Amino acid sequence: MPSKHKENIPWVEKYRPQSINDMALPTAKIKGHKVKLNEDLKNFIEYFFKEIEQINIKNRKIRQFNRTHLEKEQKEEIKIAPEKAAILLEGPPGVGKTSIVYALANDLNMQVIETNASDTRTKANLEAKLKETVKTRGIMDYIMESKRKLILIDEVDGIYGVSDRGALPTIISLIESTQFPIILCSNEYKQNLQPIYNKIKKYEINPLPDQEILRVVKRILKEEKISDLSEEDLNLIIEKNNGDLRGSINDIQALSQGVMDKEYKDLILKLHRDSYEEIFILIRDLFQKVRTLKEARSLTDKSDVDYNFLYKWVNENLPNFINLKNEITNAYDNLSIADEIFGRIRRNQYWSLLPYFYDLFAGGVALSTSDKSSKSGFRRVSFPRYSSSGFFTVTATEKLFTEKIQEKYNISEREIIQDFLPFLRNLCRSSRRQLKEIAEWLELDAKEKKLLK
Amino acid sequence: MSKEIPIWRVKYFPNTLEQICGREKLKGRLNSFIKSNNFPHLLLAGPEGIGKTTIATLFSKAFLGDLFNPNFRIVYADVPLTSEERKQARTEAYVSKSKIGSLAGRTITTPAFLQLKIKPFIQLKVFGGASFKILIIKNFEALGSNQQGFRRLMESYGTNCRMILITTNISSIIDPIISRCQLLIISAADYTSFKNLILDIANKESLIVKNKTIELLYRITEGKISNAIDLLQLSSINSKNVDLNKLYDNLISSQNELIRSLLLLSFKGDFSKARELSRNIQANYRYTAHEIFKLLLNELLKLPLSTFSKCKLIDLIANADFRAIDGLDSDIQVSNLIAKICYFSEFI
Repeated sequence: MPSKHKENIPWVEKYRPQSINDMALPTAKIKGHKVKLNEDLKNFIEYFFKEIEQINIKNRKIRQFNRTHLEKEQKEEIKIAPEKAAILLEGPPGVGKTSIVYALANDLNMQVIETNASDTRTKANLEAKLKETVKTRGIMDYIMESKRKLILIDEVDGIYGVSDRGALPTIISLIESTQFPIILCSNEYKQNLQPIYNKIKKYEINPLPDQEILRVVKRILKEEKISDLSEEDLNLIIEKNNGDLRGSINDIQALSQGVMDKEYKDLILKLHRDSYEEIFILIRDLFQKVRTLKEARSLTDKSDVDYNFLYKWVNENLPNFINLKNEITNAYDNLSIADEIFGRIRRNQYWSLLPYFYDLFAGGVALSTSDKSSKSGFRRVSFPRYSSSGFFTVTATEKLFTEKIQEKYNISEREIIQDFLPFLRNLCRSSRRQLKEIAEWLELDAKEKKLLK
Repeated sequence: MSKEIPIWRVKYFPNTLEQICGREKLKGRLNSFIKSNNFPHLLLAGPEGIGKTTIATLFSKAFLGDLFNPNFRIVYADVPLTSEERKQARTEAYVSKSKIGSLAGRTITTPAFLQLKIKPFIQLKVFGGASFKILIIKNFEALGSNQQGFRRLMESYGTNCRMILITTNISSIIDPIISRCQLLIISAADYTSFKNLILDIANKESLIVKNKTIELLYRITEGKISNAIDLLQLSSINSKNVDLNKLYDNLISSQNELIRSLLLLSFKGDFSKARELSRNIQANYRYTAHEIFKLLLNELLKLPLSTFSKCKLIDLIANADFRAIDGLDSDIQVSNLIAKICYFSEFI
């Protein structure tokens, strides 16, 4: 191979952007409104340091006050508001969340302290790594003119299970007591992160457009002096990667460096990095191609899809692929046992039961059918449309609504939702006059009226 | 009243113990409690929607008289603590050393629910000249393992506060609690008083209702008065004459009827349609898998099937329900049952 590639650094690291101004910046949204990411982030950090300085001055006064006063009269120290102390960047992998943070730190001359999924993030570990920097300034900081720090908690959605026990509360308390701005990165919505979502602002980062990726890739190829990749191949790779810049660069590096045989090339061109396409194909393969339990196991093992989702996909699509009644029965028997096992795993942390769960929900379901016709032909694969949490919940509007009813008619929340509200709906559907009267009686606003329609 | 209440079940809600429909024996017993100005802890058991809470509340009102408001509280055992309340319980669990009392410097180990929702009420002194406070706990069986902690509270604060426990499921209440209470089984109102009540409402709303209609109304609502009044109001929207046809028309949209059509769809063997319907029911009524199974069982018993197939079907429901105890996704568990019924229907 040509000697010009003697450096062994991945291109992704080599060409990591140094400044936020010369990187391919993705577009971002907050609650559906477009924002300018680079300006917002810079403002956030500037504003944070202003705020924390004022708070520190006030706290110093409070501490002095407390030293001279009785326990009864003591004042509590002021904390910074969580949404001013931290933000969350949420977006698909490879669009540049981590790169943005490093580029930003470089621009503002700050030092990044990072923790990511490769560290075990138990409470003790996190505290050891971050609390030192968060709470007090070290002695060295007073002696030397040190850099300001930026804390990056990457791959927050990777926190789960026993190994990271206690990490979330630690992160939250960190956000409340921090001396430096915190940026969290995450790939997707996770329910167990809800306490964090409630506290801080979330930037939804969109995938990069293909032209943008092409521009970056071409620049890299030009600097590496590689010209044996055709424009067509490039476009194909970029398209397959679905807005994932890092994935595109990795693929192109693999294609242009080292092994260049055709098989490898085909493999990469077939690759689909993290997209719904992948689940679609996986589901089709599972139901139509798999012949043995072992094959089913290797299929689910290879895929990156979260099993939390995968078994819901299997549940949704089961009737699309299996038609005979006795086979549906067998398939559901296996799936419901799998769900039962998963429930035990989640409640009691019996992670050693996971293999049974895998075999039952994938192979056990897919192999319940011996029907030849279901193995062939194109079947529609649909998203899981319905998901139940398994316990009684009410939305915020319903909560207000039930409180209004309870003022006039004292019955419990559950009775209102399960018994009274359906009746009110029936009543209001059958006549307009009733809707008006009820709305007047309960003093409902327009949003709550919609519940009755 | 400045304005007419548009919903009859609220409008004709009883205001005193006397106005409660039927159940004369029970009322006599409660009245004797009021006369003697004393009563033991009570445990009211009976099916859902029959008026247990109404009876308990109105009894407390009659018992306490003017001192009702400060001395009365109702607690729902099935409403879980919010995250803030749990946090509050955690922070309050430690009693500071600077406080006076035997608890200083210790940690309170009472379950959070009892600590927050029950103790603050029963510990405080009786207000005014009342003999004691009254605490109603609804759906008491939902307390689960906290029942053990509740035993002691019943004894130590019994003189200060009497408790009326309400439950639909007496088998899940532990024996020590039952032995500390006087058990009152509450049944639905009898037909004559039910009829009188409906006729009274019909009179006030100037409706025409025949005896046969009332009979049907009593049968389909199983004597649950609030449901019967709801149905009556729905049927009377367009004309003042309520007859059997109108009742049937409005019955279709009731949840029992939905569950029934779910069963019938599964008997036909149409799995995907039945699953769609079960998802609709779950979404609209927020039923958990367990509640759906319970309703399915109720409806199943009403269907004209042979005893053998009924037993088989009950077996299926029981197995599915057992699996749902540990299962996470109620949709999967309900679908499992539907698939099995679909398959089983071939052999009926």
